[in-house]
Amino acid sequence: MPHEDDLTRRSFLKALGASIALAGLDGCTRIPAEKILPFVTQPPELTPGVAVHYATSMVLDGYATGLVVEAHEGRPTKIEGNPDHPASLGASGILEQASLLQLYDPHRAKRVRSGRAPSTWQAFATAMSPAALRQRVGARGTGLALLLEPTSSPLIASALASLQTLYPDMSVYYYAPLLSDASSTALTADGLIPQYDIGAADVILSVGSDFLAAGPFHLRYARQFSDRRRTPLTGMNRLYVAETGFSVTGATADHRLRCRPAEIEALLEALLEKLAAASANPPLIPGKSGTLFSSSPWLTAVASDLRAHGGNSLVIAGDRLAPRVHALVAACNEALGSTGRTVWYTRSPLLGADRANTNMSALADALRGGGVDTLVSIGGNPSYATPASLGFAAMLKRVPNSAFIGLYENETARDTRWFVPAAHYLESWGDARAYDGTYSIVQPLVQPLFGGKSAVEVLSALAGLPSADPLAVLKESSRSSGVARDEESWSAALRRGFVPASPLVRVSAGPRPDLLRSPASTSAAAGSIDVVFDRDLRVHDGSFANNGWLQELPDPVTKLTWDNAALVSPETARRLAVTNGDVLLLRRDGRTLRIPALIVPGIASDAAIVHFGYGRTGAEEVAKNVGVDAYQLWPTLGAFTVSGVSVERAGGADHHDFAITQSHWTMEGRDQARSETLDTYRNEQRGIAPQGPPSSRRQLTIYDPPQRLESPHQWAMTIDLGTCIGCSACVVACQSENNIPVVGRDDVAKSREMHWLRIDRYLEGPAEDPRVVTQPMLCQHCENAPCEYVCPVEATEHSPDGLNEMIYNRCVGTRFCSNNCPYKVRRFNWFDYNAHLSETEQMAKNPDVTVRERGVMEKCTFCVQRIREAEIGAATAGRPLRGDEIKTACQQACPTNAIVFGSLTERDSDMMRRREESRLYGVLNELGTEPRVRYLARIRNPNPQLEDGR
Amino acid sequence: MAALFPPWANTVVRATLVAAGCTLVGVPVALMAWVRTPNATRRYQPVAQPIAFDHRIHVTGQRIDCRYCHFSVERAASAGIPPSTTCVACHSDTWMSSKELALVRSSVATGQPIRWNRVNALPDFVYFNHAIHVAKGVGCETCHGRVDRMAAVYQAAPLTMSWCVDCHRDPASHLRPLSEITTMGWTPPVPQRALGEELVRENNVRSLTNCTTCHR
Repeated sequence: MPHEDDLTRRSFLKALGASIALAGLDGCTRIPAEKILPFVTQPPELTPGVAVHYATSMVLDGYATGLVVEAHEGRPTKIEGNPDHPASLGASGILEQASLLQLYDPHRAKRVRSGRAPSTWQAFATAMSPAALRQRVGARGTGLALLLEPTSSPLIASALASLQTLYPDMSVYYYAPLLSDASSTALTADGLIPQYDIGAADVILSVGSDFLAAGPFHLRYARQFSDRRRTPLTGMNRLYVAETGFSVTGATADHRLRCRPAEIEALLEALLEKLAAASANPPLIPGKSGTLFSSSPWLTAVASDLRAHGGNSLVIAGDRLAPRVHALVAACNEALGSTGRTVWYTRSPLLGADRANTNMSALADALRGGGVDTLVSIGGNPSYATPASLGFAAMLKRVPNSAFIGLYENETARDTRWFVPAAHYLESWGDARAYDGTYSIVQPLVQPLFGGKSAVEVLSALAGLPSADPLAVLKESSRSSGVARDEESWSAALRRGFVPASPLVRVSAGPRPDLLRSPASTSAAAGSIDVVFDRDLRVHDGSFANNGWLQELPDPVTKLTWDNAALVSPETARRLAVTNGDVLLLRRDGRTLRIPALIVPGIASDAAIVHFGYGRTGAEEVAKNVGVDAYQLWPTLGAFTVSGVSVERAGGADHHDFAITQSHWTMEGRDQARSETLDTYRNEQRGIAPQGPPSSRRQLTIYDPPQRLESPHQWAMTIDLGTCIGCSACVVACQSENNIPVVGRDDVAKSREMHWLRIDRYLEGPAEDPRVVTQPMLCQHCENAPCEYVCPVEATEHSPDGLNEMIYNRCVGTRFCSNNCPYKVRRFNWFDYNAHLSETEQMAKNPDVTVRERGVMEKCTFCVQRIREAEIGAATAGRPLRGDEIKTACQQACPTNAIVFGSLTERDSDMMRRREESRLYGVLNELGTEPRVRYLARIRNPNPQLEDGR
Repeated sequence: MAALFPPWANTVVRATLVAAGCTLVGVPVALMAWVRTPNATRRYQPVAQPIAFDHRIHVTGQRIDCRYCHFSVERAASAGIPPSTTCVACHSDTWMSSKELALVRSSVATGQPIRWNRVNALPDFVYFNHAIHVAKGVGCETCHGRVDRMAAVYQAAPLTMSWCVDCHRDPASHLRPLSEITTMGWTPPVPQRALGEELVRENNVRSLTNCTTCHR
């Protein structure tokens, strides 16, 4: 029976006729009359149309990462890493890349608010000035409390110090939900943080640490780690991972062990017993601990491997594991002789890190005590990102005089009397220290778009200081703290973005013996399920939840977009009788979390991984109705592993559909993402590909032989799967550089995501305990491009320098090319995704790349805008162009240098040298496509003692 | 049975078919011809500007080089429109109180830019770069015409893709020595073909006709 809204044949033909007639009129539009507005006075550093770059730093959870930001005509358009900065080494992560979109987010707060009424900054400054505030909080500031995000900024420190002289009894608290002090409480001295030299470690055991993809120094660690894997035959390192979830680091491991949280502690106890067996003074109570793993062959092999490399081995613990785990890890490193070589300790550069009375639970106590009259909360989102059982939101509402300074009118903004929009880091002067203490400068590139105020401006207002030039304040602060004594050293530091050689001194410390000898802090109750609350790589603690680039970025392992889920292993799913998308009820202490299950092979059984940062209810429109708020179930601050959670399937037809970009896990018997062990690679120098190097097995093909291309450069790319960790920084970098639209959850579910570069993730080996290969997949720029043969309008063509070109203004959208592409890298604009962007979002677009309309096919261009710009630059200067002067956006962001771009004609380039390796292959080259992108197979370095390779 | 149609109906049908055929072919042909006319490409239509800036006076009369005002033509994609202070640089001595310069005075006083009207506009998907054309020996006049004779500037070239590609296919017929880039009314001292081919070799000029040369 036909539905009422079905189109009849007659009305269909009417619509068809009308659209043809109207489509004809579309061609009659004329180029609109445009205005040209030159400067009144030309700034000498600025030439219209020529991008300028400024060094700055982004601060996340208190630590700085050095960046270089590209600006076109005064608007930042692209963020890159600062090659000289120790936390970046030229690379950038997904959050750094995506912070550009955050700057332009139209949902950012735009007005000062007092109660429900709009107000002004002056009114806020007057109400919070000492004259007014002393009446409320007393002359010594007893009733005044500040809540800040963790910070290492000397500028904020001096602002706080001058405020403290005004209000001696004022209390300052710092809070970031994901920052744990477990590693520092595990040591004999307070306020210490571990520093690693990953590059010096031959053997690494990571216990629940995602050091390659998360944490303040992850870009540096990933670079150091990959440098030991680039040439597998010389000094390749080995990585063991024991973890509950499935992290990027776990996916990179040579051997991975799935453990429940309690097993991790037992594993370390057993490891320490084995390592310290020879010691006269055993750190643990003998015979009482480590029994679970004492005869495990995995642990025996790991222990002997670690011991064999002595001081060149390293054990790393996940930040958010229990203090005792950190103490055990520190003891293991001590027993190995690694302390002082691959790991050492320094004071934390974070303010208040050495005092326990500055954390959130101290603030909660103070609020409960009722002594707080005025609470000024700068940044973060404490009402949302605290355990629901803490009741912070309710306590904040009861504070008589409260203010929140934030980028968004989020959950916390609802609970305070005053709200002031905060300035983005690209809008305000500031400073911070990197994880190793390097003094880094936060340099703005634009005036505040929405009138935001920086933390220092707010603190100055509290101190009653007249508003001063923020740059002058920063210069004065850096002069008095001695980092830049004169104008000359200041401008050198500003140009560089940081002051080199300002790292922290080493402090000797060891694990607390009482912690080692105390009983296990976690227990594995059989049959119950442990819930691990984890950082989401994309939205962090929820502060990046309103970012479309990040929401649409597939999770590196699960490939989930626009959602969070309870990640469970296949066995656990069977036991709970759930399939993907079935809603689980997680219950603890009378709180229930309804969250859909997602089955992920490789996760520890009897565990569920839940990511923070979703289920937002603030004024952030993009983040609304995305995922579930895991903070609702979080029982206590600092406890990221929770046992005794009852988990059951919700009754009825409760089901959730995920938007996942890659639903298959295996290669289905093909070998597009190849991997091999180091031994095999060493032995079979003739090449590891089962059928021999691809070039030697050219088959009969229906294609003409590739035409001889006449151009001084022949562009090509080599991607090393051995160093690719799948972190997805390249995907966001590509999105930012190439104006790739965000399509939204519904369209991702229909496989309409627009990413030109995606990371394919394949599992190998046993289904429950798989190994992973990640593979960046982009247009392969085939010399015999199948897409080119089928385009009826020649909208995709081959250039003389070997690019597969896509010409948007010719494309009529038949999508034949996409159907004929064996790599599935072409994307079609189903809708006019760019049509309704706000004015500020339009400012994020790269002016060197066309913004595509509906009905047009698009794909990776090898960043042709960068190629042409470099060619024009070299030709204008009258000098030859070196192919390796050009870096594509993905290459530039990559923390591990897995991607190299260059010209086939330059034999001495890095890209060509990599092509001489026998593990080189072209994906699906047996089809005769002759791709210009070639891959190096992943080399694993398994321990020969672990025969099954696990 | 009587015929439904009289015999002349055949003629009507034939005429209609012919007319329909002519329309089907003729309308597109006419449209395609029309978009190439100066009227459609807006060629030769002087554009009124907020200030009646006369290139004749400045180029022919004062012999000011193009690059004095269009300052970024040698190093950027856009040739550059002079900032208000460039006008003042010369006019502080002369004609400063003229009512023609009222906008310049108010611009400098208030810091508000002068809103000029664009004359040569390319679609947004075309990435034209002045610097490389100037570096390879394409004179200003080659595309912009005799600006020294324009009271109000007009678009001299059709700026259609075929016009661009004509030169990209055969640069030799349009190149001039690098010393003559800004010369107006330059004529080749030797036959253009020979000179052009010499310049192609000397300046390493490539004939780039692939799509991403201009479309990115």
